[in-house]
Amino acid sequence: MRILVYLLSVFLVCMSSCEELIHVDLNTGDPRYVIEADLDNISSTQTIRVSQTVAFNADKASEPIDDAQVEVKSSGGQRYVFYPMGDGYYQNANFTPKPNSTYYLSVKIDDEVFTATEVMQPFINVDSIGSLEETIFNETNYSVLVKFSDPLGQADYYKYLVSINQQPFRFFQAYSDKYNDGLYVTHQLTDFTKPFALGDSILVRRQIITKPVFDYWNQIQMLNPGSAAPANPKSNISNGAFGYFSVSNSKDYGITIRSYDQLKLRE
Amino acid sequence: MRFLFAFIFFFFSFLFVHAQQTTSISGYVKDALTGELLIGASVEVVDSPIKSSSNSYGYFVLDVPSMGGTLRVSYVGYQELIITLDSVAKGTRLQIELTPLGKMLDEVVVSGKKENKNVSSPQMGALNFSMEEVKNIPVVFGEKDIMKTIQLLPGIGKGGEGSSSFYVRGGGGDQNLILLDEATVYNASHLMGFFSTFNSDAIKDMELFKGGIPAQYGGRISSVVDIHMIDGNNKRFAAEGGLGLIASRLKLEAPIVKDKSSFMISGRRTYADLFLKLSNDETVNQSKLYFYDLNTKVNYRINDKNTIYLSGYFGKDDLGYGKLFSFDWGNATATARWNHVFNDKLFSNTSLIYSDFTYHVDVSTDESTFQIASKVENFNFKEDLTYYAHNNSTFRFGLNVLRQRISPASLQAQGNSAVNSIDMETRQGIESAIYGSHEWKPTGWLSMIYGLRVTDFMVTGPGTFYTFDREGDPIDEKYYGSGVIKHHLDVEPRLSLSALLDTRQSIKASYNRIVQNLHQLTNTTSSLPTDQYVLSSINIKPQYADQVAIGYFRNFDNNTYETSVETFYKYMGNQIDFRNGADLQANRYLEGDLLFGQGRAYGMELFLRKVKGRFNGWISYTLAKSERQFEQINDGVWFNARQDRTHDISVVGLYELSKKWSLGATFVYYTGNAITFPSGKYQVDGKTLFYYTERNGYRMPDYHRLDLSLTYEPRREDKRWHSSWSFGLYNAYNRKNAYIIDFRENENNPNITEAYKVALFGIIPSVTWNFKF
Repeated sequence: MRILVYLLSVFLVCMSSCEELIHVDLNTGDPRYVIEADLDNISSTQTIRVSQTVAFNADKASEPIDDAQVEVKSSGGQRYVFYPMGDGYYQNANFTPKPNSTYYLSVKIDDEVFTATEVMQPFINVDSIGSLEETIFNETNYSVLVKFSDPLGQADYYKYLVSINQQPFRFFQAYSDKYNDGLYVTHQLTDFTKPFALGDSILVRRQIITKPVFDYWNQIQMLNPGSAAPANPKSNISNGAFGYFSVSNSKDYGITIRSYDQLKLRE
Repeated sequence: MRFLFAFIFFFFSFLFVHAQQTTSISGYVKDALTGELLIGASVEVVDSPIKSSSNSYGYFVLDVPSMGGTLRVSYVGYQELIITLDSVAKGTRLQIELTPLGKMLDEVVVSGKKENKNVSSPQMGALNFSMEEVKNIPVVFGEKDIMKTIQLLPGIGKGGEGSSSFYVRGGGGDQNLILLDEATVYNASHLMGFFSTFNSDAIKDMELFKGGIPAQYGGRISSVVDIHMIDGNNKRFAAEGGLGLIASRLKLEAPIVKDKSSFMISGRRTYADLFLKLSNDETVNQSKLYFYDLNTKVNYRINDKNTIYLSGYFGKDDLGYGKLFSFDWGNATATARWNHVFNDKLFSNTSLIYSDFTYHVDVSTDESTFQIASKVENFNFKEDLTYYAHNNSTFRFGLNVLRQRISPASLQAQGNSAVNSIDMETRQGIESAIYGSHEWKPTGWLSMIYGLRVTDFMVTGPGTFYTFDREGDPIDEKYYGSGVIKHHLDVEPRLSLSALLDTRQSIKASYNRIVQNLHQLTNTTSSLPTDQYVLSSINIKPQYADQVAIGYFRNFDNNTYETSVETFYKYMGNQIDFRNGADLQANRYLEGDLLFGQGRAYGMELFLRKVKGRFNGWISYTLAKSERQFEQINDGVWFNARQDRTHDISVVGLYELSKKWSLGATFVYYTGNAITFPSGKYQVDGKTLFYYTERNGYRMPDYHRLDLSLTYEPRREDKRWHSSWSFGLYNAYNRKNAYIIDFRENENNPNITEAYKVALFGIIPSVTWNFKF
């Protein structure tokens, strides 16, 4: 199905020649809280951000909330308090989540409490990683390929963040094994809006995530202008907060974008 | 149920009421040059109220005074025929041939099969067109298209830029029953909707019902579009065709046995892809982008009492990128019909029909090779009987057994593919229906059609069926073998009545209930070939609509101007929408992702049409509202349906400049679609996301457009060869109508968000050359 989405996006790109900036009068909805809690085992420092929605034409991306009480408890009874760092960020510098443990998020803002639960999944090892050069409709695109064996008989979910030339990590793609359970799988990482360039130094963060986190990100990546009714992605946090709580098993992989000839992954 | 018995008793009691001092005559009305049957031709006794009209097979029955009289047979665009009957023997059967007028006369009459029919017919909410009437209406790329013409009529919502889909009286795009020689056409469009599957050359005429739908139709709750293919010339060989910018067409027809049997074959193909072949790039020149249609029909008149028709359609769209990817889809239909005249008064049509819609995706990369295939199909048996009791009373009754089957998209992986094969269970159901209706004119001023349809939809196995909790998570599953799992029994009353105030004006009212057991799941703004179909099941109840309408019809100036005002209210039950984040592809638990709610639509439609003269055309205006309500969407508050359009205006003008040149223009204006826009934004992982508060709470900008056409038709009366040139200008003043409005981060400053629109078509010129001999 992805290839259909891809073709449609090519079609949309072809049409974008008739594209024009316009002004639309938009209402401003009641502000909603947004919690971004993407915890992983890359380091012992974990960060959570709490913010609020802003008007569409505001000249800032979000409104930080600095007076929340943020903590995570583990199934082992540990309690990790996150301390405010400013701009809506909260941090705990001594917390490395462990596989198969359950974690309970609690964010208290004034009298409202938002909670969520996550179980950290075991990691699924990568077999190889490399870059790919493709020419589609006379345009050369580069993407990163991640190859691995998907474990058979269980539902697995993957999410990738990418940092290009030491820039901050950005969300790239989320995958499930709905169509390739138990197979030798290739995940292709691309960003159609900001393509990779030859020579880019790439850091790929591969996260093994749970179904609710996949559903959240899958809804985001499937959003397109042709949707009959775009909606807010379904969060795994209670009480109507936006955002998500994820405790993923993660690893980083470095790679440089090269042309196809120089880099064949496997024979 | 008591109501049902009362109805049946009432209905049959009429059958045996008999008429007086008259003798019935019957026969067929045909075109004298081609032998083509004429549908809806008027047959009347001069200076008397006795009149009738030919049915879809050109057949008519008329009770005339036994001592004889003068018959007048007329049909728009044909020379009137007067037949004097001195004495009438019982069982007289006439073969009436009418000669087309051509353009020799100054008087051009374009519509109304029967003058004044719009006022006098009890049928409400019906519109019909022959292909001849629409040929000069300008359309995109110069491809004349009956589906685009009907969008210019009141109460018919346009599908959007260049689209051949449409919405009737606030209903959904999948709620229109589109029939081609009685076969259901599932997907009536090509190339994502820019062209309809109906090749104009092969089409004789089209009838559209948007309210008061007669009992012989069922299965879609908003409208019926009944399209008839031409039968084929049974007098001589004829050919017709055209070369256009996008497509070329060719039609051949000829008698097999003169006056008895003929065939028609008509094809159309686009050729944009031929330019791809010129590319040096191997992937590009192996790419595909085209569609084609093939219509064919054969008929054989065995004798006066029996005629057989075989007709078929096959169409396909094919898209491909090199050898990597290919995607094709299309409809196929086949209809076999047998017309039988039991006696003068009882006409029967028996049909065996098959139709399907399939799509295939082939992917072949280094990593994976796999195919995706999906199919929706039906086998249909229909028996329709018409009993002409007397001039003022006609009964229609029949039965219909429709077997439907859906094979949802399943994935077949080859060799060492990086994907697994997925098999989805086939779903099936049998819809059986019986109906009866009575067209009755108890007095000179009152006429009516009332009827009843009883539908039993049987959900049949084999298959695994699931039940779900309120959140849509599966809680139980059960495997059923072959056999009926569940019955959905529905009773659908239909009524349409007309009170003639005088010969020029009438008031009409109608009511109908209709149910629908096949549902198309579309979660994009345009319907795609990959949209999933589902049948009513243990979780999905039949959709239904109750519609009432009332209207005033009046003609002016010797029927030169036809006007009408109609108002309607439609309630729609068991409507379908989706849960947030629903997965519609290869999902066994799909039904758990569906939400069920209700809809309502109401409005007023004005129609003014000039049907005679060198200048003719129409103005239609619709003022309407269409809303939906779902418990789990928009906090349970009613919201505008996407196709809710407050105002919708179409103006069509056709002007014959001279014998050779004619001019056509259409102007459309409508309120933009209701749409969901963000009411704020926020950031997650450095990505700007939009905050939505209200379903369809915003509007696209208003849409308007002017199209022009110019037709040059040199005349050489003595020659068989005719050719013409059509020049078109779509979107003549180059209005950049918004096709999509979307929002994004500013490229330079991600803190700032901007809105942009994408326009699909600017001004598009076209030229088509047509020929006929």
